[in-house]
This record gives sequence, structure tokens and C-alpha cells, in this order.
Amino acid sequence: MTSPLLQLSGIKKAFGAVTALNSVSFDLRPGEVHALLGGNGAGKSTLIKVITGAHMPDAGTVAVGGHPISRLTPAIARSLGIACIYQQPALFPDLTVTENIGLRLESTSPFRRVRHSERRRVATSLLRQVGAGFTGETAVYDLSMPQQQLVEIACAIGAGAKILIMDEPTASLTQPEQELLFGVVDDLRRNGSGIIYISHRLEEIFQIANRVTVLRDGESVVTRELVRTSGPDGTSICQGFDEADLIRWMVGRSVERTPIAIPPASAPNRLTVHALGCDVSGVRNVTFDIRAGEIVGLTGLVGAGRTELARMLFGLTPADTGEIRLDGVPVTISSPAAAVALGIGYLPEDRRRHGIILDLPVAQNISMSVQSRIFPMGWLRPDAEKTLAEQYIRRLDIKTAGSGAEASTLSGGNQQKVAMARWLATNPKVLILDEPTQGVDVGAKSEIHQHIRSLVDEGLAVLLISSELAEILALSHRIGVMRLGTLTAMFDGQPSAAQLMRAALGNQEPGDQPC
Amino acid sequence: MLLLTIELIFFGLYGRRFLTADNGVNIIRHSVEIGMLALVMLPVILTGGIDLSVGSLLGLCAVLFGKLWRDVGVAWPIAAVGSVVVGLTGGGLNAVLITRLRLPPLIVTLSTYSLFRGLAEAITQGTDAFTGFPESFLFIGTGEWGGLPAQAWLLLMTGLGIALLIHQTTWGRSIRAIGFSAEGAEYAGLPVQRRVACAYCLAGAMAGLAALTYTARFGTAKADAGAGYELAAITAVVLGGASIFGGRGSVAGTVLGVAVLGVLGNGLTRLPATLSTASELSGIVTGLLLLASLALPRLPGMLITSTATACERPRSTS
Repeated sequence: MTSPLLQLSGIKKAFGAVTALNSVSFDLRPGEVHALLGGNGAGKSTLIKVITGAHMPDAGTVAVGGHPISRLTPAIARSLGIACIYQQPALFPDLTVTENIGLRLESTSPFRRVRHSERRRVATSLLRQVGAGFTGETAVYDLSMPQQQLVEIACAIGAGAKILIMDEPTASLTQPEQELLFGVVDDLRRNGSGIIYISHRLEEIFQIANRVTVLRDGESVVTRELVRTSGPDGTSICQGFDEADLIRWMVGRSVERTPIAIPPASAPNRLTVHALGCDVSGVRNVTFDIRAGEIVGLTGLVGAGRTELARMLFGLTPADTGEIRLDGVPVTISSPAAAVALGIGYLPEDRRRHGIILDLPVAQNISMSVQSRIFPMGWLRPDAEKTLAEQYIRRLDIKTAGSGAEASTLSGGNQQKVAMARWLATNPKVLILDEPTQGVDVGAKSEIHQHIRSLVDEGLAVLLISSELAEILALSHRIGVMRLGTLTAMFDGQPSAAQLMRAALGNQEPGDQPC
Repeated sequence: MLLLTIELIFFGLYGRRFLTADNGVNIIRHSVEIGMLALVMLPVILTGGIDLSVGSLLGLCAVLFGKLWRDVGVAWPIAAVGSVVVGLTGGGLNAVLITRLRLPPLIVTLSTYSLFRGLAEAITQGTDAFTGFPESFLFIGTGEWGGLPAQAWLLLMTGLGIALLIHQTTWGRSIRAIGFSAEGAEYAGLPVQRRVACAYCLAGAMAGLAALTYTARFGTAKADAGAGYELAAITAVVLGGASIFGGRGSVAGTVLGVAVLGVLGNGLTRLPATLSTASELSGIVTGLLLLASLALPRLPGMLITSTATACERPRSTS
């Protein structure tokens, strides 16, 4: 048997205290499509970055064509024939297809003569290979997204790529465009290339893949061969496992729920959202409510519109349709300042950019959203600020050299606690937590979970956004699922992780309650 | 601080009649307008912005002040209020363009830098100058009070006021936060655009006030008043340790920066001919000082990174 094109074994990669990949093994044979599956944060992107040389693994070996590579850089990866086609092609929109291909393939020395006829010949032949229905003279600006992807593939072929990574290539494609792409993939496969195929559309996997590897929590859980047999009507039938198995592998064992006090049904609605939408952020027709003392979890795939919804509720991208009621009173939230004044807090996803200001002391970060309350007439009172800060440093057990230490000196978990302290200090009615434990070590994570639980005792309404199903399941009273910019399901009882994953992927079952 | 001490010693040793009370008064008199502008440039720079238009606005305010007093015929204190109002309006125009239309401060104030100067020249037809102001007004620029030049008291009050604003109020707090991370400040619910707008309005109003001391010092109001002062103000703020990217800087540092520039400008003119060709050196020395103050803190870091990459390179080919 020929050696595999690519062989990864025991790959480990950690970012600070967070383990992204923990012993991943993966191989790619010539002439196969190997699908890579996994939920958000399972480690797919990190693994791709290891293969393309963008990340150095902490441990483990990478072998290309049977030869171990000790230090893979993006340039070396390219020279070994590894190419990645991203969801959003990175072409120069104002140049023609031929020019784009030329820039990718030709020498990069700053001064050389461009041989236009040669360039045209190469581009034309490559475009023919991928079955493009447009000429090299077309400006990339005029191409549709799938056509641009074809250009990317043409570049990859032209560069002699034997290992092709396709990251959700069909996310924005229509059915016929998808068929066209699959045709090209088939051709590549026949020519002996290997394709790593990432997609959230499970039916595609069965249609095109030869093998499937499922990643979960940074580990390769399972690798299975897809055996195709021709059915009586000529369609191929896959044996061995089905979609339900895939979902089960992606979610893992059932997650234990720690019971949390369920708010009485009589508890008043804190936040009511009706038919909320915003064109700019692509969120439409979202309706839900959160009672006082309730945690509503919100999950969905990356790009489903969860953060966009949070940004609307916090006034960062104000909603242009629908209604928001706070304690039954209709409100307009036109800016974050207005949201804060109304008693809405938002712990953003990107802690370092938005959650805190790294260059400012801990105390200033904590007091930032309550300046008008603790500093009457805008006059600073350092002692009042210090008292406030120390109160929250104690309450959340923030590890810092003192309230005057710059936030940048704290660990990720403690920075996140500072960001949380800022919102707790505002005594909010509604608190939106967006991935509150992302990039936080295990210890700080369970502490943050405890604090979130204790919040609802004070009658807060919490909207908890998380990609981590275990987190959502452990903390939420009810769980909403977003897909393609709208809320598609709201689970009242105790849904299983598989149910949530199905809803997020868009495979609705009759048992699930539509919203 | 170190720089200022070196300057004082150097000019004290070599300058003619440098360390005299008279010359001290002289230095202060000449530094007042740049000092005022630097003090309001500081909050603008703290937000991460810049205001190139204050010098031109000073000129426009001076000319309109003269116009109000001579041609409209109002009493000078009322015309003085008018000057500040014009300054506030000019600053307000910058503020609206920067915070409402979200245009970059550098481009906005570069445009108004031309616009304000152009207006001043148009009003005076390029040649008209307003003179003959009453003694009571000229006192601001030439008189002495309590042992200090009259305008020094204005500068002192401005300095105290700005110091309190920047170091003792939530506004000062906010503009630093904005300078460090405008997005972070917005996510904290701070009214970012309003706070930034205040900084530009304040800068404009101060240009109107500085126009008065400038006019009173020279006794004439001409269209070229305050030309180049915006750059001197920025130089002083940066020399004073403020970061041009926003967030970092203090009033004390800015005051020192102004002092360094003022002493330097004055001291160079007082060097004996054997040592220098006098004031032509001022530009060179200022430029070198500014570059040195920016580059020196970075040098150690640069050396470390360059050796680090040098060490890494050989290993990359394996």
C-alpha cells in the first residue's frame, strides 16, 4: 500500500491554560475525501492550522508523503503541496482571474518581467481543469462566491497541491453550484490528490466522503470508513453508521446536569423580545422571553447570529424591527450607554478587545460602567472606587496584585472575572453572557459557573450564549437554538445534547418543539 | 525634567543674560499661547486623536475679535467673549465631523487648518491688521500682576483647570479609556462620541482664549496669528511623555514639555555668535529632541527582538 499523503499522530496544542488539541491522530490517503467533523471548539480550526503550518504543535508528529516534518511553516507547507481553500476566498477583487492566478503561482521576486502569454496559457488550462464557466479575463469582482472558490481551487492545482483542505466550501452555495464543486472534487480525487473536507452538512458527508473523522474536545474520537454499495435504483447506500451516530460521536457521552433552582412560573418576565430583527447583522424575527431569576441558554453554530442578537440587545447594532420590553415596558436601545442605563449588561465574547481595557487598572475596569453612580457630579473618589473594586475582588476571588494593578497583568480567567465584576457592579436586570468561559482555564471556569448560578438568586435574567453544549446544559433553565440568523427552537425541558446539535445543524425531528 | 535641567544649565553657562528675572518673564510670556494650546491638545491626544486646526483657529479668532471691536464697535470684553465663542464653534465643527460623520481627526483638522486660516485671510483681505487696542486690553499681554506677567495667571488657571478635568473627573477617565481602546470603552457603555466631542470643543474654545493673549501681547490682530502653534503644541505634549496613540499622558508632563520648548527657543537666541548661528538652530534641535524622546524608550526593546529573530533564523531550515 502506498504511504499516506499526510500522517498526523499524537498532536497536542495548548494556548495558555486551554488545551485545543489533545492527542489527535489523523491521516489522509491519496485519492480519498476525508471528512473532518466536530462541534464548535472541537479543534477543527486548530488542526487545520497545524496542517497548514500556521500553528506549531506542542507535541506529536506530522509526516507528509511518509517523511516526518520537524518544523512546518506556512511556506514549507505550501512547498509540500498543502493548500487550504477557505470559506471566504482571499482573492484580489479588482484584478482579473488570470492576474490573481499569476500572483499566486509565479515567483514573488519584486522585479521580474511578467510573461503575459505564458500567464494566460497557464490560467486558461487551470480554469478548464476545474470546469470554470468563465474566462481568465473576468474581474474577480464580477464572480460569485462559488466561482471564486473555483479560482482558489485552480490556484491550488496550479501550485501542484496534493493535499487540499476545504473548509465548509458549500456554506454559501446553491444546489447546482454544489454539484459542480463535487464534480471538481471527484476529478481531484481521481488524480490522486487527498482532500480534507470540513462541513456541518451531514448529508454531504455521506454523499462525498470516503472516510470520516470526528473530533471532540480536542481529541479524535472516531475514524470510520464509509462503505458505499450501489442500491437497486443506482443510488449509493452507505453502510456502517448513520447521521444519528455522527451526532452522537460529536456530542459524546451524556452530560450530567447539576439541578439548579427553577424559577417559579409566576416569576415576571424580565426581558421580552418580539420579532426582533436587524438587516445589517442578518438577524431576523427573534422572539423569546426571560423571566426574573432565569438563565436562558443560547446555542448554535458559529455564524448563526447569537453574538449579533446580543449586540442588538446591547445597542451596539440597534434593532430595526421588532420590540424589546424590559419588565413589561417597551424600550428602545439605541446605544450601549442607553442599554447600561436601562439595566442591561453584556459580557462580550472577545475579552481582550471588548471585555476589559488591558492598559487600565483593575479598579478602573470594574468601576467603568458605574461611573455616574459612584462618582457624583463626575468627580473622582478613589476611595469609593477602591472599596467597590475590593468588594468584587473578594466576591469573585479575583487573583490580582491589587485593585491598582493593570488588567493586562492578570491571567485570562481573572481578566474575565474583572469583566464580570464590572457588570455585577451595575446591578443589572438583564445580563448577557457571551462565551463567558472561552479561553479560561478549568479552575476559573467552574468558579465562573458557580457565580452565574448564584446570579439568578438575585432575580437577574441571564442570557447565556455558549458554543459548549455541556456548559449550556449545566447552567440553563431553558435553551434556545439559533440557526441562520433566527431562533429556530426553544427547549423547555431537559433536551439531550444530541437534540441541541440536531437543531443547530438544522435536522429538526418531530419531537423538538419549534419556536 | 532632566532635559529642562540640562537646558537651564547649558544656557545659564553660555547664554548672555539668560538666567535673569527679566528673561524668565520673557520666556513665560512667549510660552503662554503654546502652553494653553498644548494643555487642550493633551486631552485630544489622550483620546487617540489630533487637532491640527488650533493654530489657524487662533488666527481666525484674533481677526474676528479685532473686527468686532473696531468695525462693529462693541466693548473689548464683549468682543473677547465673541472670540471664545468663535473658537468653540470652530472646535464644534471639528467635533461634529469627527464624532458624527466618523471622519479621521487627522484629515478633518487638516482641512479646518486650511479653512480657518483661509477665512482669517479673507476677512482681512490678507493685509488688514487691527491695532490701537485700549490699554486695559493690552495689559493682558504686556502687564505684570503679582510679580508675574498678566497672561501667566491665565495660563496657570487653565493648567489647573485642565489638570483637574483630566486627573480628577470621570471625563478624564473616559478619554483615557477611549484612547486605550475606543471599542472597549463603547462596550462598557461609555458615551464615547460625546466624550470625544468635548475634547475638540475645549480645544476650540481655548484657541479663542489664546487669541486674546496673543493679540494683547503683540498689540495687533493679523491673519497670520498663531501660525505653526499647533505643531509646537503637539511637540510639547509628546515631549511631555504622552502617547500619540492615546491613553497615556499627564498635565505635568505637558507643562514640562512646554517649558523645554520655551527655554530652548529663548536660550538659542541668547547664545554668543561663536557658539551658534542663533535661532536657525531651533528647528533642528526641536526635531532631534522629539525624535530622541520617541526613539530612546524603544531602542532596548528593538535590540532584544532583533537578536531574538537572528537566533531563530538558522533553526528554520530543517
